[in-house]
Amino acid sequence: MQTEEFTQEVELNINGQTHRRVVDTRTLLVDFIRREIGLTGTHVGCDTTQCGACTIHLNGIAVKSCTVFAAQASGSTVRTIEGLSVGETLHPVQQAFHDHHGLQCGYCTPGMVMMSIDIINRETDLTDEVVRHNLEGNLCRCTGYHNIVKAIQAVGEVMRKTPAAE
Amino acid sequence: MYVGAPVKRLEDRRFLTGRGSFVDDIVLPGTVQAIFVRSPHPHAKIKQINSDRASKVPGVLGIYTGKDCEEAGLGRFVVWSPVHSRDNVARPEETQFMLALGKVLYVGEPVVLVVAETKYAALTAADEVEIDYEPLPFITDTSKALDDDVPVIHDSMESNLVFDIDMGDKAATEAAFSAAAHVTEITLTNNRITANPMEPRAILASYDPASDGFTLWVSHQAPHMLKRDLAQNTLKHPEHKIRVVSPDVGGGFGMKVANHPEEPLLLWASRRVGRPVRWTSTRSEGLIADSQARDHWTKCKMALDENGKILAISADTLAGLGAFQTRMGASIPAHFYSRSLIGLYKMPTAYCRVRGVHTNTPPIQAYRGAGRPEAIYVLESLVDNAAVEMGIDLREIRRRNFILKEEFPYKVPFGITYDTADPIGLLDKGADLFGYDQLREKQKAMRSEGGLQLGIGVACFIDCVGTPSKVAAAMGRKIVGGWDSAAIRILPSGKITVLAGSHSHGQGHATSYAQIAADWLGCPIDTIDVVEGDTDRVQFGHGTWGSRSTITSGIAVAKAAQQLQLKCRKIAAHMLECSDDDVTVENGVFHIPGTDRNVTLEDVAQMAYQGGNLPPGMEPSLEQLSFHDPADRSFASGIHYCAVLVDPQTGRVKVHKYTVIDDCGTIINPIIIKGQAHGGIAQGVGQALMEDCTFDHASGQPLSGTFMDYAMPRAIDFPPFDVGVQETPAPSNPLGVKGAGESGTIGALAAVRNAVVDALRPQGIKHIDMPMTPARVWAAIEAAKTK
Repeated sequence: MQTEEFTQEVELNINGQTHRRVVDTRTLLVDFIRREIGLTGTHVGCDTTQCGACTIHLNGIAVKSCTVFAAQASGSTVRTIEGLSVGETLHPVQQAFHDHHGLQCGYCTPGMVMMSIDIINRETDLTDEVVRHNLEGNLCRCTGYHNIVKAIQAVGEVMRKTPAAE
Repeated sequence: MYVGAPVKRLEDRRFLTGRGSFVDDIVLPGTVQAIFVRSPHPHAKIKQINSDRASKVPGVLGIYTGKDCEEAGLGRFVVWSPVHSRDNVARPEETQFMLALGKVLYVGEPVVLVVAETKYAALTAADEVEIDYEPLPFITDTSKALDDDVPVIHDSMESNLVFDIDMGDKAATEAAFSAAAHVTEITLTNNRITANPMEPRAILASYDPASDGFTLWVSHQAPHMLKRDLAQNTLKHPEHKIRVVSPDVGGGFGMKVANHPEEPLLLWASRRVGRPVRWTSTRSEGLIADSQARDHWTKCKMALDENGKILAISADTLAGLGAFQTRMGASIPAHFYSRSLIGLYKMPTAYCRVRGVHTNTPPIQAYRGAGRPEAIYVLESLVDNAAVEMGIDLREIRRRNFILKEEFPYKVPFGITYDTADPIGLLDKGADLFGYDQLREKQKAMRSEGGLQLGIGVACFIDCVGTPSKVAAAMGRKIVGGWDSAAIRILPSGKITVLAGSHSHGQGHATSYAQIAADWLGCPIDTIDVVEGDTDRVQFGHGTWGSRSTITSGIAVAKAAQQLQLKCRKIAAHMLECSDDDVTVENGVFHIPGTDRNVTLEDVAQMAYQGGNLPPGMEPSLEQLSFHDPADRSFASGIHYCAVLVDPQTGRVKVHKYTVIDDCGTIINPIIIKGQAHGGIAQGVGQALMEDCTFDHASGQPLSGTFMDYAMPRAIDFPPFDVGVQETPAPSNPLGVKGAGESGTIGALAAVRNAVVDALRPQGIKHIDMPMTPARVWAAIEAAKTK
């Protein structure tokens, strides 16, 4: 029976702020974000890396934070859903999801939005096929994906014309 | 006018910015963690539970068993919707206790509750709990549950039979089959599945010794009903000292309206340890611990005359209920399924027999459609098969049999009267939007080429929504009425709060109720906030399930708003020194038409709350609590057209095109209605093609234990959907609304099945059971080759 605790110091820059904590080595990055830092916008929806509700940006790339140990990510830059909007102004992807009814219960939404930004950053031709294939790691149970795809396609153009957007 | 307009959702911001308030997000100081030890056996005696080693793990605060709960006086779940068998035998209602007592009856049944300071301490302790089981013979295969030599899972029962009902006219139906020119028969299953909302179940329970009050934060669809059950049956604590708060709910689909053992248990534990206790289900836990759904085995047949006119339908269904009876699980196949077998057709007679059975599997409760997808699956599979067998076009056979628009209201053989619909309208609008003729051409061309095969399937339905309370009472339902509520409170500043008894978990009530309130109050929509889900704030409600919210709470919103508008106009008239009839309201301003004399809603509200200068006899403040109990059931309808591409070499099915015409009566918000259709279609396609709660019947073990084994539909599995609408208003309520939330799943199972079978007709395929995975489709093709 394990009675010792194994801990490690973790340092992460999250949404522009540096955080340093000592945590149990088993702590997943998603749990660090949610419990240590109190940013609960990133969600947990499964335990086998299937659902994508935990998607954040790790050093600028979409990553499932349930599949990374906080200690593993130490020293990196993280952006979560809370770090997207600037004051009252929504990020173009957030705005597009609103305009196209791309969310219902809202639980998959943070992960979907973070993944959508990554898709738009990487793909030049946002066809149905390309967008849907890129969403393979993000499950939604409410929307049937129809409006999510529409939102991504609509905003792709907007974002490419606005270099300041992430 | 807001009602009917495509108003963008008012509640989106918090979800888009990660500021939703889901139960696992809520933080209470001093919260500790609960972990469950669950049964690894489908059926076993519990000989001994030894928690000595476990209790020594640092940080453990308590380890509890069923005996502890029994000694503490906790109660069992109660069946709220009893089913009376036709043999009038009163069989024991075996419901679940919070933790297993004496024996376990399904893999996943909670046996021990471990509470510890941290998640890791609780997990470590859970591993150290030693349970001595004596495995017993088990049965997980519903189709064999009534065979002679199988184990009877409950010691109090003579067999696994829970109920045996029938409906309709057996003799007349048998006569119709004898006289029929053509009989179509199918043996089919409706596979067991699970809801899998993206937010797993979550609970945060706390107890305040000062007030002897419990607070339960829980991801739930019906907080007041849960509170009643806790007070009356399970926790057994004074009702006025329990508060249930269901904040944002990340999807429910009926599963979260069920009562689960973790709910009372965590409340009781929070009092025992004197700290708030949290439990958040993992996904693998949810796949065995959540209530499951469907699980029907059916022999069905349809009798037709030489012109393809339906003479009768007959179905004999074995419905798996799982190891325990639940709140309403038995009534899903017994009532909701059976009465829905007639659909939109004129048929002189019909007969249905349903038997519900126990097996060593998780209990069955509601999931989107609850009985109606199962019924339409049977009905529409028969219709498409019959059409093909008789050489009649799929649309034509329906055209010949549909109830005509002018024939409504129409009474069907099971004694129900449908209110309004336009089936032929659905048929033709749908065929146009789908491009039926062009797709048939494409099918022909692809058939001659070989390779991928195109299939077309049709499924249409009518759905009964909104049971009146008196009907529920007559059916013997306890606790559950059919009404719902809305209170509207206009504050002194003129800002408005709507408190509704329903509970949105994605359906957008914050927007649609605001639309209704704004129209009926005569004010702008942006001053209205909608509150649901807190039993301390909302007087009472039945929650959201069964597509019932707009038809109950939505109408109550309109009624409350109408009353308040009247009161405000009276105050305005008093202020403007004119008669009540001279005042109209628009956009929050009360004015006398033809003059520039007016007062705002804020002015009226100030006056109402000051109270010193009101019309004689009028009480101060501006609040109205209203209720709506449907005068009668109302009937939503719809049609699904589905085209699939099947690869005969691999068995892989891809949905190529999917068109729906949805008739939910008057539409409050078309954006929301279409979104509901999209989601329902996706869940139906998911069940038809890939989802399954799979059990290995030799070992009794569930195999679909994670998202790696339980296939969930993804974006790549769907094309864009085409959703059109038709509105035949309900005559039984002032808004004319029907229900919309479940229509997508109700039609989808049959539409997809019919399309796949249609694609493979040249291969001699007449039926394939769901889920139509590549392996199963390929196996069916191979089997047909050897015939």
